[in-house]
Amino acid sequence: MTRPRILHLIDDTTPGGITRVLDHIQSCPQMARDARHVVQVVSRNRALPRLSADMIVSHLTIGWRFLPALISFRARHATTPLVHVEHSYTEGFTALNVPFRPRFFTLLRSAYALFDTVVAVSPTQARWLRDRKLVTRSNLRVIPPMVDLSGFRALAAPTGRPRVIGAIGRLDRQKGFDALIPAFRALPDRDVELHIYGTGAEEAALKELAGTDRRIRFMGHAPSPEAAMAAVDLVAMPSRWEAYGLVALEARAAGRGIVAAEVDGLQDSAAGALRTVKGLSQADWTAALAAARTLPAPEDRATGAETRFARAWSDLITQHCDAAQAAAA
Amino acid sequence: MPFASIVVPAFNAAATLPATLASLSAQSYRDLEIVVVDDGSTDATPRIAAEHATRDPRVRLVQQYNRGLAGARNSGIAAATGAVVGFCDADDLWAPDKLDTHVAHLAAAPLVGISYSGSALIDMEGRRLGHAQSPRLTDVTAAHVFKRNPVGNGSAPVIRRAALKAIAWRPAVERRRDWVFDETFRQSEDIECWLRLSLTTDWGIEGVPGLLTEYRVNTSGLSARTDAQLASWERMVTKLRPTDPGFFARHEPAARAYQLRYLARRAVSAGDAATAQAYIRQALSLSRAPLTEEPLRTVTTLAAAELSARLGAAPMRLALSLKSALRG
Repeated sequence: MTRPRILHLIDDTTPGGITRVLDHIQSCPQMARDARHVVQVVSRNRALPRLSADMIVSHLTIGWRFLPALISFRARHATTPLVHVEHSYTEGFTALNVPFRPRFFTLLRSAYALFDTVVAVSPTQARWLRDRKLVTRSNLRVIPPMVDLSGFRALAAPTGRPRVIGAIGRLDRQKGFDALIPAFRALPDRDVELHIYGTGAEEAALKELAGTDRRIRFMGHAPSPEAAMAAVDLVAMPSRWEAYGLVALEARAAGRGIVAAEVDGLQDSAAGALRTVKGLSQADWTAALAAARTLPAPEDRATGAETRFARAWSDLITQHCDAAQAAAA
Repeated sequence: MPFASIVVPAFNAAATLPATLASLSAQSYRDLEIVVVDDGSTDATPRIAAEHATRDPRVRLVQQYNRGLAGARNSGIAAATGAVVGFCDADDLWAPDKLDTHVAHLAAAPLVGISYSGSALIDMEGRRLGHAQSPRLTDVTAAHVFKRNPVGNGSAPVIRRAALKAIAWRPAVERRRDWVFDETFRQSEDIECWLRLSLTTDWGIEGVPGLLTEYRVNTSGLSARTDAQLASWERMVTKLRPTDPGFFARHEPAARAYQLRYLARRAVSAGDAATAQAYIRQALSLSRAPLTEEPLRTVTTLAAAELSARLGAAPMRLALSLKSALRG
């Protein structure tokens, strides 16, 4: 039997988490063993095309304006298994971005109902989807996203007291670096630096917050995610919302300690963090950063994560393709 | 396990606790437990609770060294087993149908995490003062919570356990149990909790009609300590601002103006006209919101503060005697 052809739809090609996960899906030998994975970029502003595949996986962003296109797409692919991976929406996102919740939940419920399976990217996000009755239990799977971690595992673990705290990600309100900078500035230690990797809309405002504190450095885009991780000893993730939080997974693989906000899926991806902080209060973050500098980094290295990811997708593909074949027979 | 728990934080509350417990035992909704948290009282509070427990086996007593109101509530939450948790301070009273109403509301509105009601104000003898907290009940956003705190007081809400869990955390200094209310606050602990829930979870806050709580106010004219109240309110703002700086940039001036107006009213009641005048003037210089959104209340506060400052206590005495004469 030939390997099933799995078509992944994306609408966001900016460099970032989703793009990197799809790169991994296409290049991972374990993933290629059971299926052929193909990525197709689609436009959010036009109708979705008629496509042919054994299973179609949406990595698209759900929105009201997109809903008609999605309904039409479902109608034209009535017998193709359709899966949606929810990369964006969480309780934390809803709290800070959605003033009128019932309408938003109706959108998500309507959109998710068009898919045979909805994939949550973290157990915490899955619990939220279930508790808010957005997805029925039987249609819900949890598959945390994955990238190739070998480059991170190859990094030597930092030794001694952490000197460089890294903040890695888009310079966007979501990532909470605006809360991290004042918390870091309140650290009295002179032998510590904050290195901020990434670019984005908040850059000027963040530089303003950093002021004249020479311990804070803006590093721009790193040549590679591994290079950024190699240059820091400790990773701070004060996200306001986070469906998963790949940087935490990479930090674990690299043997770097983590200080993370207790929010959404970050609680799962940053499992084993040196310190977690509920909320973004400056005093709490300053205390957490100070405490984390005294603790040894954990050595879990996210062993076997890629294999678990490949197996979870393989199971999902088998389930849907077997069902489709049985229906056709 | 009972479906509902009522947490009663009690500190040296011997004078009022019997009436509070009687009102809770008399709830028409029967599937409940009452968790009295004796917060290190030095009076008969624990004995009264224990005696009440012999008449109503649904009452449990939890005792601790004094941790303050937030700490007592947190201990009560940790001991409570219900799927919904109500709060009633040991000097307040619940109307007989209060719990029933909130349980029905929460069952019918699955997105609501905090269900609250309005309150009638009572004096030290338990007489209704003719004043009420009648807050907005629906379409409550974080901005409403910040500006007008529709939940009103700590004996008004009944809260889903899942919503309490969503904001619970374990501070590094704590060994025993989680915090839901922030125990570093000795005032503003309520509003801090509701606003934090609004800003960090997607649980809704919604009220039910009726004055289902009787909220006791201290009318003995003791110093209102408004400066300490303002300081703790400011500390709450400083704590929560990083959660959503844009939200605070939009709503902080109006919210502070409302807070200052509230403190001005407290100062008028306490007979501190100079402080009242300073607060209300500062409020109006910060934001027009109290004037445009609630003109009557704001103008009466302004008039009371300015007249008292110029003429002493006479205008307030006149207003109060007029009011009681009218009520007959």
